[in-house]
Amino acid sequence: MKRIQLEIFLGILIALATSALIIYYGVTEPARMETNAEAAQAREIEVGAALFEAQCSRCHGTQGLGIPGLCPPLNDRNFFDNRLNEVGWSGSIEDYIVATASSGRLTSTRPQIYPGQGTPAMPSFSDEFGGPLRPDQIRSIAAFVLNWQDTAQLVPVPTLPAGPTVGTDITKELPQGDAQSGEGLATGLGCTACHVLTQTGPTWPAKDGQPGVGTRAAERIQDPNYTGKATTPEEYLFESIVDPNVYVVSGFPPDVMPQTYANQLTDQNMADLIAYLLSLK
Amino acid sequence: MIKSLNLQDTRKKFSEALDHRVRAITAGLGITELGAILRGDPPTERPNPRYKVHTTSFLFHIRPRYYEMGSTIFSHTFRLGFFTSLFFFVELFTGLILMVYYTPSPEKAYLSIVDLMTNVPYGEFLRNMHRLGAEAMVIFTVLHMLRTYLTGSYKKERSFTWLTGVVLLGITLFLSFSGYLLPWDQLAYWAVTIGTSMAEAAPLIGNQTNLILRGAPDIAANGLLRFYLLHVVLLPLGAILVISIHYYKVSREHGISLPAKYTDEGNASPEKKKWAKTRVDFLPDLFTSEIFWTSLGLFLTILAITIMGYRAPLEHVANPQATPLDTKAPWYFWWLQGMLKLGDKTLMGIILPTIIIIVLVAIPYIDRNPYRSLYRRPLAVGMGLLAVGALIVLSYMGLPQFGIEQDPATRTVQDLAPMEGTGPIQKVPFDQLQTGAYIVNETPTSDLCPNLDFGCPALESVLTQYTDKIDGYVSAGDLPQDTQATMVIEDWQKDLKKVTFRITWTDSDGKNKEYSREVFLHAMRGGE
Repeated sequence: MKRIQLEIFLGILIALATSALIIYYGVTEPARMETNAEAAQAREIEVGAALFEAQCSRCHGTQGLGIPGLCPPLNDRNFFDNRLNEVGWSGSIEDYIVATASSGRLTSTRPQIYPGQGTPAMPSFSDEFGGPLRPDQIRSIAAFVLNWQDTAQLVPVPTLPAGPTVGTDITKELPQGDAQSGEGLATGLGCTACHVLTQTGPTWPAKDGQPGVGTRAAERIQDPNYTGKATTPEEYLFESIVDPNVYVVSGFPPDVMPQTYANQLTDQNMADLIAYLLSLK
Repeated sequence: MIKSLNLQDTRKKFSEALDHRVRAITAGLGITELGAILRGDPPTERPNPRYKVHTTSFLFHIRPRYYEMGSTIFSHTFRLGFFTSLFFFVELFTGLILMVYYTPSPEKAYLSIVDLMTNVPYGEFLRNMHRLGAEAMVIFTVLHMLRTYLTGSYKKERSFTWLTGVVLLGITLFLSFSGYLLPWDQLAYWAVTIGTSMAEAAPLIGNQTNLILRGAPDIAANGLLRFYLLHVVLLPLGAILVISIHYYKVSREHGISLPAKYTDEGNASPEKKKWAKTRVDFLPDLFTSEIFWTSLGLFLTILAITIMGYRAPLEHVANPQATPLDTKAPWYFWWLQGMLKLGDKTLMGIILPTIIIIVLVAIPYIDRNPYRSLYRRPLAVGMGLLAVGALIVLSYMGLPQFGIEQDPATRTVQDLAPMEGTGPIQKVPFDQLQTGAYIVNETPTSDLCPNLDFGCPALESVLTQYTDKIDGYVSAGDLPQDTQATMVIEDWQKDLKKVTFRITWTDSDGKNKEYSREVFLHAMRGGE
């Protein structure tokens, strides 16, 4: 065989092999694109998880279960099933999450139970509206939140106060308190999450040789480092609930406890809570 | 009637008409002649129609009529220049199609790449091919240059061709580098930020050059558009122009050089020298040979991206606020990164590279040695090999692992769970990521997952590596004895786990130090 013929022969063989490779690749291409799409979505959720942790978890909870008296749950059946109807949103739930996270909320839609962090109730997060994140990062957060859709459980809605709220005047005359209903309130409002179950705030019950919060309240007002205005244990507890930053127990950072309870609790609620806390000697 | 049905007559008329059509398309080659070419037979007509094509056809007139036999010896050229231009055409073709799907804006660029991989049939194929083609083009350009240098083919009448070749090397590197930014991922963004920051070090014009390149103090929408236009318009146009000049010199003026031993200086026998000067016609010999090499080149490229799994990397979307650890330039600029570690940015990043370019351009004028044989120019060959060695050593020094002092805790975590790309923890299959707290030197590194049928070797390997690294640093004294290292795996969401690496220690001042990193891993994330 001459060199030319050999080259033509081999060339044809190689061209056929190349075509076979391209066809083989084409046959597996739909599956490959599907895998790529899943991988892209997975990366989006991973990125969203880190961003949620950094930007959203302080208010909405690390697992998105919300913090009563502060921010609503997102890992919540009600959020995925009913929220769009409640607010009359015509777009998709993804649009709703992206829109809310991007531009924030000036006022809360449920000021009694989820007043947010003040004014605005929720800050804007997209850099288009003066926030810290790029639009693609907002979309990643939405992908992460939407990944709760299949598994979300119903998160109970905290109970609303009946009647006018208590306000921030700690010298106010309160009705007779009932420790038992105070205990129910403490659980329903989610106080126990930080003050009993974890040590995010000062622990209420007696623990490790320290007396309970009822005893500590009486001792605290005698403490020379105490910076509040309370003169009785009742006033001290009242003040700690409605205006927690006036005095923060050493070892705990300020601004962790919601500052909204003055507008959430009635006089009776406050009296019950104080009665319950004083019973924890 | 009967006369017009004469079969022979009709056949003759038909074949004449067909021959006429074929000649119009092939610029003068008839059917019989085409057959002869394919069989490798001598020309069927006189004057030789295979030469005529070189004047009647545009595409053939830019090709030479013949090469000298000696210059077609494979081990003389290794077809390196041919492959460089082959990959240039691969880049043109794949690049044109990729342009259809690409939007040069920071908001859309990354999404358009994701869309290309998830929604366009053969989209990832084209992207991988474009990327591999670019790397191959750089490799072949450099090898072609090295070959030209070693065979002394830059001398005398070829000195200007050498100059255009140096320009083409520069254009190739910049083409590749300008394309690097376009996916707009972390890899691209930071590599190009570092690259353009070198321009800033240039005396007097540095700041302005940097501004012109980036379009703003930092790379953003303007910078991306500028790099895009450089990549798809200015540099390809420049490349086509200079390639044309380069090729014209070779094909029309001096041809491909003969191996030194067949020239006047060589000691081959007179018959051999005569043989080396015999002509090899373009049609059919060189033409079929080129088609053969083209099909082989394309086959190997496609084999690499289909069966052998070559993938163009795509990291997270560019984030100007977060510089990833271990940022590095594309491999063909590692030597430059290595040089930058040796000294000042202006000296190593601007002045020295300029001197290198000047030396490269001036080689034909510096080297006055008339001989081309390797053995008669020991100095030139020695310098060349020295330069290759220096390039390799500098490239090694350019790696992020070399010569950068890093905090041992950060280094350990970055090695196990890199911010970008795939590290040991990202390679652990999802089902092996068993929740729990793993403490270095307390948790045993075997039988970690008795409830899994096949155990979790990948997770055990991560913990082993973690232990080895920490123990290594502790015994070397880089970390104190009281160092505690943990890895905590939590269920976070459906198909999502959170892995936290935390290293705590007491520093020499008695302060408690901590380094931790959280990694979220999704079941569907895929390997790379």
